[in-house]
Amino acid sequence: MDDDVKKVKKPGLVSPFKRVFLKGEKGRDKKAQEKATERRALHTFSLSQPDHRIDPDILLNDYIEKEVKYLGQLTSVPGYLNPSSRTEVLQLIDNARRSHQLAGQLTSEQDAVVSLSAYNIKLVWRDGEDIILRVPIHDIAAVSYIRDDSLHLVVLKTAQESGGSPCPSSCPDLNKSQTLSSLSESGGVLVEVCCLLVLAVDNKAAAEELCLLLSQVFQIVYTESTIDFLDRAIFDGATTPIRHLSLCSDDSSSKVDIKEAFEADINTFPFQDSVEAEGNSPLASTPTSPQTKPASEGELSTTAAELLQDYMTTLRTKLSSQEIQQFATLLREYRNGASIHEFCINLRQLYGDSRKFLLLGLRAFIPEKDSQHFENFLETIGVKDGRGIITDSFGRYRRTASSASDSTTNGNGAAGGSEDSAASDEGQETSEGDEWDRMITDISNDIEALGCSMDQEAVTP
Amino acid sequence: MNVMLMENMNSSADSTSPASMALYTVMYPVFNQKDDTSSAAQTLKAAFIKAEKHSPGLTQQILLKIMQKENIQVNYHECLLRMASEEFEALMIDRKEPEFQSLNKKAHALKRVLSTIPDEILDKVRFLQTIKDIAGAIKELLDTVNAIFKMPQYQNKRAMEQKKEFVKCSKNFSDTLKVYFKDGKYDMAFLLRHFFY
Repeated sequence: MDDDVKKVKKPGLVSPFKRVFLKGEKGRDKKAQEKATERRALHTFSLSQPDHRIDPDILLNDYIEKEVKYLGQLTSVPGYLNPSSRTEVLQLIDNARRSHQLAGQLTSEQDAVVSLSAYNIKLVWRDGEDIILRVPIHDIAAVSYIRDDSLHLVVLKTAQESGGSPCPSSCPDLNKSQTLSSLSESGGVLVEVCCLLVLAVDNKAAAEELCLLLSQVFQIVYTESTIDFLDRAIFDGATTPIRHLSLCSDDSSSKVDIKEAFEADINTFPFQDSVEAEGNSPLASTPTSPQTKPASEGELSTTAAELLQDYMTTLRTKLSSQEIQQFATLLREYRNGASIHEFCINLRQLYGDSRKFLLLGLRAFIPEKDSQHFENFLETIGVKDGRGIITDSFGRYRRTASSASDSTTNGNGAAGGSEDSAASDEGQETSEGDEWDRMITDISNDIEALGCSMDQEAVTP
Repeated sequence: MNVMLMENMNSSADSTSPASMALYTVMYPVFNQKDDTSSAAQTLKAAFIKAEKHSPGLTQQILLKIMQKENIQVNYHECLLRMASEEFEALMIDRKEPEFQSLNKKAHALKRVLSTIPDEILDKVRFLQTIKDIAGAIKELLDTVNAIFKMPQYQNKRAMEQKKEFVKCSKNFSDTLKVYFKDGKYDMAFLLRHFFY
């Protein structure tokens, strides 16, 4: 009877073991399927073949997403690692996988999305969208594609943040908290370190696409940065000093030079007349010529004066009279001690989203001590050509006391060394500071006058 | 820049139009090579100088016509740029003060780096480095000019106007580079038009 029972399969009954296992497998498949359907579509664009070219505007003003697998990030990697050497890179990766610092088997758990723009690479988990890490473009030293049998690896060599990283070091000889400036444990030799961000993609085409996209980003970023560098060099050299400036030595003294150049001619700026001139966008690369020549023989900075004139013309075309007066108030408050942060926030509020590009025009008038904050602010609000992300790679072209300047004269015109000029320049510092204040006051007054004149024009038929 | 400042100091290079570069860059070396002190050679040289002064660009037109006639297939502006890196006595300030000698050096350094543009422009990475070098050279040149202007005896309105012109040309050069990088069009003439000083 037992045999009969065993042989007969009663309908509706399923072995409990089968129920558990099948349910598990089916459940996992079902989950995977559900996951796939639940995942959002990527923000992607069609790329022209065969070089996967993308419209630069997308990288500058938008972003593109690609699916990858995130294996991990290796830290404290010797900076002299050759990213072109397949052997070197694979050795590091193999060691890391053996010590479980990098994922061994590739599963859906490593699914991630890389979001690429001209500003940074952002890595988020495919499910949940939690951010893994973000790397500014200027921190990326190299990108490599390595095919290891069926594995298509894209490896990014990046700078290491001094605060450490989520993954432990792959190099046992080096201290885990190694930073760029720290010494290695084995001897007193300064060793530069970097990180390796290890991604995997489905196939060779995907890897090449990612590499070419990054290449285009580099081209955009470093081209803009280089032209920016050229413009800065021209601007810095464009100002003509009236007398020897002891303030030049540490500061990027273009601002000091601008103030000197403005000193003689600030009252002759035809703010009212400039209304008649053709308006220029602050992003225009060619400044307009001054509408009137200065009455005096004083040296006038061409570029600085033109920049100011451009900006005033633009304000008139973009802001209402009330807004211009608000701008003047904010400028005065900043000059009177308000923080650069407050100044930026208030200006941003004043300009709104549609006119935030106007902030770019202020760049030349922000003192050096606040310029870094200003640049960072531009970047955070997504103003194009925010310089903070790309100047760091090359460094600002800082004006230093050149050998020519060292041997130049003091204010009295007599040739002398720096010692002679130091004493005579001390007294000049205070007066130069007063002149700077006077100049900004004049600018603020002129801006307010601009606002008032617009009101009058509106009233007068 | 040298040509501009020299107007007051050296009568050899009287023509300051960019189109006159053909005279200094191409013809002067020819005159010097000949090393011919005969009256005919001197007359020819003087004639070219006088003609160029009264009609800027004449030398260039003559050269272009000769090239056309002889079917010489070279990029004229590219050649001009390369040749401009040579030192020409006529374009140098012959004053001995250190600041003017420094100015000569800085101007020559700028011209030297500009002359490498034709070789570097097709390699993006190297061209970007060249642009950085150009930026540095412009800055050093302007710094030297500013150092001279600090001395009251050299504060000359005309020289300052010429400096402004140089700055404007530099800016136009920068703008042209932006167009070039945006469009990817390689137009040497367009690039050089703004840097014929």
